[in-house]
Amino acid sequence: MDENKGESCVSNGALLTKFVEAILQGTYAEQLAARQSVRATLGDAAFVDTCATVASFNSVVKIADGTGIPLEDAKETKTMEMRDSLRLNEFRR
Amino acid sequence: MTSIDVGEGQLPIRTELAMVVEDAWRRLTQPGTWWGGAQRRAIAAEARNTRNCGLCRRRKDALSPYTVDGSHDDLGELHDDVVEAIHRLASDAGRITERWVREITSSAVSEEGYVEIISIVAIITALDTFDHALGRPQRPLPAAQPGEPGRQRPKGAKRNLAWVSTLAPEDVEPSDPNPYPIHGVSNIHRALSLVPQEVFNFFDLDVELYLGKEEFFDHEHEHRAISRAQIELVAGRASAINGCFY
Repeated sequence: MDENKGESCVSNGALLTKFVEAILQGTYAEQLAARQSVRATLGDAAFVDTCATVASFNSVVKIADGTGIPLEDAKETKTMEMRDSLRLNEFRR
Repeated sequence: MTSIDVGEGQLPIRTELAMVVEDAWRRLTQPGTWWGGAQRRAIAAEARNTRNCGLCRRRKDALSPYTVDGSHDDLGELHDDVVEAIHRLASDAGRITERWVREITSSAVSEEGYVEIISIVAIITALDTFDHALGRPQRPLPAAQPGEPGRQRPKGAKRNLAWVSTLAPEDVEPSDPNPYPIHGVSNIHRALSLVPQEVFNFFDLDVELYLGKEEFFDHEHEHRAISRAQIELVAGRASAINGCFY
């Protein structure tokens, strides 16, 4: 079993989850370490795209929450399998 | 690909991403639809200042932010109601309620002005988060650009979907900026549509931070240096930390 696959069964999932948590909630030292880990494991281009994704979802949430826009029924249905396979529904704040 | 300076060296960055980031910075302090350039700059600055606000900290720690009264530690440039909107969006958007939105848009902040504030807060959050994640220092805000806001509300906007009025794709008129053919018609694209230019302002940036319309529905090809599964994992964790219901 790939020891880098976290509970989500995504390649380097644990590493990426740790990176997001460090950037959004971690200490300076944790952020430094997380950046180095992602760059060393996934490469610099992947690191930049990971940073971009964090930026996207740290911001778009304000649009959804600030406007009260509802989630489309179809989207909830269509993403059920993906959310189950990535175990996203298990995430808690 | 081009490169981006992260202080300790250069990193590779998609050319399109680098371009939209620079464009987003430029648009941030240009005249908008309801706020002038200087006001938009002040809104972005106040969003950044939220981290220094004691009231926001106490509210964040409270079981309910609506039980904590007080005054915000603000920069003194904007009306108190505008500051309240900015600080709540910046610090605790996940616990915004419909009632709070109704109160804010009945105050000194118009419904249209509120929607534009949401966009500005979202955009500065995206830009600052990107720099922070990369390990870059916070970028100074660009100088405000002169000019008057357009002040045009889409005639077809209605409050029938969200807590603010939105403009359905079928109600777009020729005089309205129309983001839907480019960005899609999901509810998240409709969210800012009371101020259609802000849909462009945010999503022109976001399609390169995340994925564009065609890329989103293409599950057969990888469009980034991380896989789609990795993208969605990162997205899911960031959303969960923010407590976002959408």
